[in-house]
Amino acid sequence: MTEAAEKQVVRDEEWEPKIVAFCCNWCSYAGADLAGTSRIQYPPNARIIRVNCTGRIDPDFILTALELGADGVLVSGCHPGDCHYTSGNLKMRARWALLRRAIEQAGVDPRRVRLQWASASEAQIFADGVATLIEQVKKLGPLRGQWK
Amino acid sequence: MGEKEQPRIGVFVCHCGHNIAGTVDVERVAKEASKFPNVVFSTDEMFMCADSGQELIRTKIKEFGLNRVVVASCSPRMHEPTFRRVVEEGGLNRYLFEQVNLREHVSWCHMHQPEAATEKAIDLVRMAVARAARLESLPIKTVSVIPRTLIVGGGIAGLRAALDIADRGFEVVLVEKAPRLGGHVIKWTHMFPGDRTGEQVIGPMIERVMSHPRITVYTDSKVVGFDGYIGNFEATIRSNDGKSEEKVEVGAVIVATGFKAFKPKGYYAYGESPNIVTLEELQEMPRRDDLLRPSDGKPVKRIAFIGCVGSREPGVKGHEHCSRYCCLAVAKAAADLRDRVEEALVLYQDVRTYGRGHEEIHRLAREKRVIFSKFEPSEKPRVTVEKGKIIMEWHDVLADDNLRFEPDLLVLASAMVPPDDVEETANLFSLTRSGDGFFNPEHIKLAPLTTHTAGIMIAGVAQAAKNASESVVDASGAAAKATSLLAKGEVEIESTVAHVDPELCSSCHTCVTACPYGAISMDNSRDPPVALVTEAKCHGCGTCAAGCPSAAITMLHSTDDQILSMVEALLMPAMTSGGEVQ
Repeated sequence: MTEAAEKQVVRDEEWEPKIVAFCCNWCSYAGADLAGTSRIQYPPNARIIRVNCTGRIDPDFILTALELGADGVLVSGCHPGDCHYTSGNLKMRARWALLRRAIEQAGVDPRRVRLQWASASEAQIFADGVATLIEQVKKLGPLRGQWK
Repeated sequence: MGEKEQPRIGVFVCHCGHNIAGTVDVERVAKEASKFPNVVFSTDEMFMCADSGQELIRTKIKEFGLNRVVVASCSPRMHEPTFRRVVEEGGLNRYLFEQVNLREHVSWCHMHQPEAATEKAIDLVRMAVARAARLESLPIKTVSVIPRTLIVGGGIAGLRAALDIADRGFEVVLVEKAPRLGGHVIKWTHMFPGDRTGEQVIGPMIERVMSHPRITVYTDSKVVGFDGYIGNFEATIRSNDGKSEEKVEVGAVIVATGFKAFKPKGYYAYGESPNIVTLEELQEMPRRDDLLRPSDGKPVKRIAFIGCVGSREPGVKGHEHCSRYCCLAVAKAAADLRDRVEEALVLYQDVRTYGRGHEEIHRLAREKRVIFSKFEPSEKPRVTVEKGKIIMEWHDVLADDNLRFEPDLLVLASAMVPPDDVEETANLFSLTRSGDGFFNPEHIKLAPLTTHTAGIMIAGVAQAAKNASESVVDASGAAAKATSLLAKGEVEIESTVAHVDPELCSSCHTCVTACPYGAISMDNSRDPPVALVTEAKCHGCGTCAAGCPSAAITMLHSTDDQILSMVEALLMPAMTSGGEVQ
């Protein structure tokens, strides 16, 4: 192994992914609160941004996060049918399919973005979702430079 | 939105005793925060929510001329209202406050990684500071409250709430889908604690409701349409025959839609013999001195009960909860009927006679020699019907013995489950439901009778399985919540609504179809027509803003700029002016 390659390995081991997590106020943000209250331990890489509803999330927010160097983006909301605003999460779900395709076309692995449903009582599901995304992103490595 | 003033941000990092400071290096967070753009004051403090912490905020606002406040402490779902009030007392608009969640989202879930937790805390504070710099004052709006309450459900909870509210001088509209008032209770023949019938218990309440000058009753009717916002709702009530439909305006709503007694198909041979009935079916049998077998009308000599039928079943959706009423009801029925039969047997998983007077009834049943036998949840009793005869076989845990009993009548204490139209009710009033299928309260401990839809209360079994006396307690509580709203006459509403810039609107109608509340219409007085938000109808979800292809919609307090500033502050801290270069 060359010296440069060795340095690269060290750097990759030290690298911790940065995750932007958009959570709706009523279900997933509350689910994350419950994860804390229940002392459920999960990896500390995600930074939560609270929005009223996943329906508020403009796909541009997600693309901007990836462009600025987020290694992964999580969107977590109420289960379909349980949206506090009746249907905002369904609008998000509709955008999601297109968004994933756009990300893929831009040369970014769509496994870097995750859409999940976690209710206010599903602390473990929330925490597991965060952990799953982080694990996925760790396998993919840092995002920088992967845009087409 | 006016001239931009230069932000002067104060950051207050809370220790929450050991809760945050035990994991996160709060002093370091406060020190780092002092270097963030626009931060003119930063400190850490033992308890920000305590009087001393609140006073600290008010003092520092004055001392440093702060015009934005960031508190890094617990979840905003807990204390945002507290700190909004504090900054208001300090002379700032409540929307110039931003909270960071260092407890639920950091210290409590990364307890073994203090270094990483501190890094996360610093990131979150940097993001909040960036957002705070872009926060804007919003007007504090109040709306008047229509002094009338809609109560949905005319069972014991709905009746109690109606009387409480009407007796305090406010009008009530009571809607019941069945042809008569009284819900389940009126059908029952033996009520706890004495031996009165449900009709005797609830009859006087119904009479008072029917004759009350301030209560309007609609029976055999349902609420089929519902619109509006706290203090100003409009409900459409339709009779079940479809012949009449009326609209009523109300300021508050109490949903008391109760339950359905679970019909336990597939449990203990239910349905295979007319002599296997549920507790509710037993309660509805005609009241008389002797107990007769439904199959042939002969007197019952041996009666048996089985508890937890369709309740407390881990992993079975909608049946995991304890139905709470059944242990007492079984003990009461067994004690009552013991005098009329030769043998009475109760098979149970556990006996939970927790309420006032419950244990006395349980003891009475045992004193009367009702036999109680415990079975394992994993080894349920087997019930078969052979030539019309009911045969029960089970393993008694305490005697460690296999036993057998042939009752003339078997009573299954079946679960309380939500009524069939619960989904319809949930959608109508924008209520969410918990795992048991009943409606979620706003907060299980601190706000059990209000919901996340402002102005809508829940009472009785609509909220969770419980007995009649607990339902009445709920009803009086929900009535008090409603009357406090009505008595005030006006209520503050959130200013966090959507705003359309008519210059940017391209008249595409995307927002009109995106809005779940019909709050956006086209203003036809303009050419071309542009989107117009009816603010009172807007709930602030922001779905329209995300969908607008022309970026013509601003979600107040949740603007694109405010959200993206957090993303930038996290990923490109150097981009934000004055930020530290990493």
